[in-house]
Amino acid sequence: MKKVHIIGIVVIAIALAVIVSTISNSSTYAPFRTAIENEGSTFHIVGKLNKDKEFIYNPEVNANLFGFYLVDNEGLEKKVLFNGSKPQDFERSEQIVVIGKMSGDEFHASQILMKCPSKYNGNQQDQLNAVSDESETES
Amino acid sequence: MEIQYQGEHLGFGILGNILIIISFTTALLSAISYYFSFKNKSDLINSWNPLARISFSLHAFSVLGIIVLIYYLIHGHFFEYYYIWQHSNSVLPLKYMWACLWEGQEGSFLIWSFWHVILSFFIIHKAGSWEAPVMFIIMVIQVFLTSMLLGLELDGIKIGSNPFILLRNHPDFANLPFIQMSDYLAKIKDGRGLNPLLQNYWMVIHPPTLFLGFAATAVPFAYAIGGLLTGRVREWVKPALPWTLFGILILGTGVLMGGAWAYESLSFGGFWAWDPVENASLVPWLVLVGALHVMIIFNKNGTSLHSSYLLCTFSFILVLYSTFLTRSGILGDTSVHAFTDLGMKGQLIIYLIFFLVLTILLSFKNRKLLAAPSEEDPVSSREFWMFMGMLILIISAIQISITTSVPVINKLFNLKLAPPADAVDFYNSWQIPLAAVIALLMAVGLYFKWKQTDLKSMSKKLMLSLVASLIITVAIHYYFQFARVQLVLLLFTSIWAFAANLDYLIRVLKGNIAKSGASIAHMGIAFILLGSLIANSEKIVISQNRLNVDLGKDFPNNENILLYQGDTLPMGEYYVTYKDKIKDGIHIRYEVEYLKANHSTGQLRKEFSLFPFVQLNERMGNVSEPSTKHFVERDIYTHVTYAELDDKEEAKKENEGYKPGKKYQLSICDTITTSNSLVVLQSLNKDVDKNLLMLQETDLAVAANILVMDVNKKLHQANPVFILRGSEAFNRPVEITELGLRFAFIKIIPEENKFEIEVSEKVGNSREFIIMKAIIFPYINILWIGCLLMIVGTWIAIVKRIKKLRS
Repeated sequence: MKKVHIIGIVVIAIALAVIVSTISNSSTYAPFRTAIENEGSTFHIVGKLNKDKEFIYNPEVNANLFGFYLVDNEGLEKKVLFNGSKPQDFERSEQIVVIGKMSGDEFHASQILMKCPSKYNGNQQDQLNAVSDESETES
Repeated sequence: MEIQYQGEHLGFGILGNILIIISFTTALLSAISYYFSFKNKSDLINSWNPLARISFSLHAFSVLGIIVLIYYLIHGHFFEYYYIWQHSNSVLPLKYMWACLWEGQEGSFLIWSFWHVILSFFIIHKAGSWEAPVMFIIMVIQVFLTSMLLGLELDGIKIGSNPFILLRNHPDFANLPFIQMSDYLAKIKDGRGLNPLLQNYWMVIHPPTLFLGFAATAVPFAYAIGGLLTGRVREWVKPALPWTLFGILILGTGVLMGGAWAYESLSFGGFWAWDPVENASLVPWLVLVGALHVMIIFNKNGTSLHSSYLLCTFSFILVLYSTFLTRSGILGDTSVHAFTDLGMKGQLIIYLIFFLVLTILLSFKNRKLLAAPSEEDPVSSREFWMFMGMLILIISAIQISITTSVPVINKLFNLKLAPPADAVDFYNSWQIPLAAVIALLMAVGLYFKWKQTDLKSMSKKLMLSLVASLIITVAIHYYFQFARVQLVLLLFTSIWAFAANLDYLIRVLKGNIAKSGASIAHMGIAFILLGSLIANSEKIVISQNRLNVDLGKDFPNNENILLYQGDTLPMGEYYVTYKDKIKDGIHIRYEVEYLKANHSTGQLRKEFSLFPFVQLNERMGNVSEPSTKHFVERDIYTHVTYAELDDKEEAKKENEGYKPGKKYQLSICDTITTSNSLVVLQSLNKDVDKNLLMLQETDLAVAANILVMDVNKKLHQANPVFILRGSEAFNRPVEITELGLRFAFIKIIPEENKFEIEVSEKVGNSREFIIMKAIIFPYINILWIGCLLMIVGTWIAIVKRIKKLRS
């Protein structure tokens, strides 16, 4: 066997290892239901903020604990605790992805990704709002 | 009836559209002419070539014209144009206006094609017989790029997105009633403005640099394909080499600038976060570096032609893939800074597939020419180890690509995979060992000789740098105590890579700068690895807050501290004071003073002040930006993670009332805190002047002597009185108006010898505060020095290659 072939096999083996490790390490987008069934495993949960309920954030007591209520895509609502300060403009977020695991009846998030309608790219509604301040078109 | 709109300047739009059509058709014409120019090797060359050049010149003019026109429209605030309205506003400082140009997709395609035009001037003047095939490919790319601006709708299929579309014609607006009014433009007061995150000097220079890097990868690609088209499959490598180096230089600089931008003005606390958009530009760079190494091997001894082809073409195709990733909206949830889908996903895929298929077809067609001599490089040769280095780079690129492509894999196979929960950790666990191997190869690589190496003399030469690096590694490890073996490995190999290349430069090259490109660039990469290793793994969050509720080891929640205005708290070796809040236009700056205690006297002395700020932006959301103090050996990064943005002073005036009080049972000398002061129950006073309080002689009255110390260490006295009239108890509360505090002496508990005091605070009393995070990045300057060395080394290598090409 030539060296080239050995090298080729090694490279292919490593590439396969990469794929396997990516898949086995990857988390899953899931609803709360799955996270509850697999307490202790990490999930990505996509949902919307329940704006009727208040945030739990008392920086004067604990600056590193922020809580809120998230409704997942199946409509289940859970309290989410995040170990950090309240992200800027959290109220404005449209869709939220929380990464973490269930712990009792709470979801402990280690990361929050927010999709703000306006932050990077305007969507239609936002653009309409932006102009309708100055016009009488809002109905 | 046609509405007569007022105040519009439609002429610019017409001009712009004409320029777009010219740029598209001339690109097409130039590509066709260049094609026939190299295909018909008859006398016709002379007639096709000038036509190609003339149409290229027209193309160049129109692309420049579009850019100048859009800039002019941004500058003049012509908000009747959607692109101008969407990406700029009238309060934007002049220095950021260029950034508006490339904030949108259309503008960034434009800047990309602009760089192709500039590079084409050099190709036309310098490439000689390669002009026609190389320019053919470049102009085909231009056809695709300018088609992104066309904005045509054919049978419901959208081709491109036109930057000159009028606001009132844009689908988001066209159906709004107010748009039907002839004076609608007067109702639009201002544009939406530039994303505050991009209002930063890095954003003025980083995107154009990155796009020049993208454009530069097209040239080696065009040479490789040009070689296939003309059957000169072995001759293209030499003239393409300087371009490959140029691409590495510019793309690398662009990627690093992105890191610097993230470090300076994004709040994720570091310069590299393995964000999909960062990865998308890093991967083509890694592949291009791999391409460079195999091209050098081919140039030297004629092997590795296949790899040269594969990697040159793939670095460009990966640029296209990265464009697809960041612009198709497919990254969606996984990245914060991807563009949204403008409905050009299909077009981007066609663009990608066209060049991929072209490459495969042409390689297949030329397979006989490409058949390589099956000669093997001996293990003791430099080319063998360079090839190995290339493989490691490719494995690294594959790992990053696959993980970044999880959303694409989901789409293709209808899966629901999410990126690894701790993505940074996952990337690091692969990339750190790979980087360690690459550093090792960089250390020994240049000591191998072409063809065959005498290993004995080689190890002799390496001995000095090896021993020196081992000693330095042990010392550094002793100082920092790295937690993981792989970190120590990378520490050692990157130090050795630096030392061995420095040694090579001094003892082998004898300081010959003209030949030092490789060793200096390798020293630079070694320092980049070393700097990021130390700064990232040894960073210390000094804003530790130990007062908080502990949620367990897996859920650490103590990286931010609360700082009241005027308070001084210890933080690491410093003391910090939140001095002031300064409103400066759309910025709210927080003055955070760092102090140090004098060793002998304990007195605090100001060291420096930092001004992290929050940029207010109603429409796009507030953005908080860090502020960093740079020292030679470390940086202190300070970031306001949370602040109440309303004006507290005004709130104070409005809220004169008191909040419900808190009751405390105190013994003499007990201390309690309020939001703004320390309160001590000092003693009791039984000799109360009853006349003064207008009490009856028979009343029993006791006053509490309360000492209050405010944040400025000023002392106040309060003497609330407890009164017993017969069996009835009542009290006389006392206010300290200056502090918004009220004290009442409620009762005496004789059996415990305690006294109940009620403290009430005014509603507006809660004090101004910030939540901040501070991180020390040690030795981060090693990283920036590495960047400079990498740039200098690559530049020296370019000069050497160009000189060789001419001789």
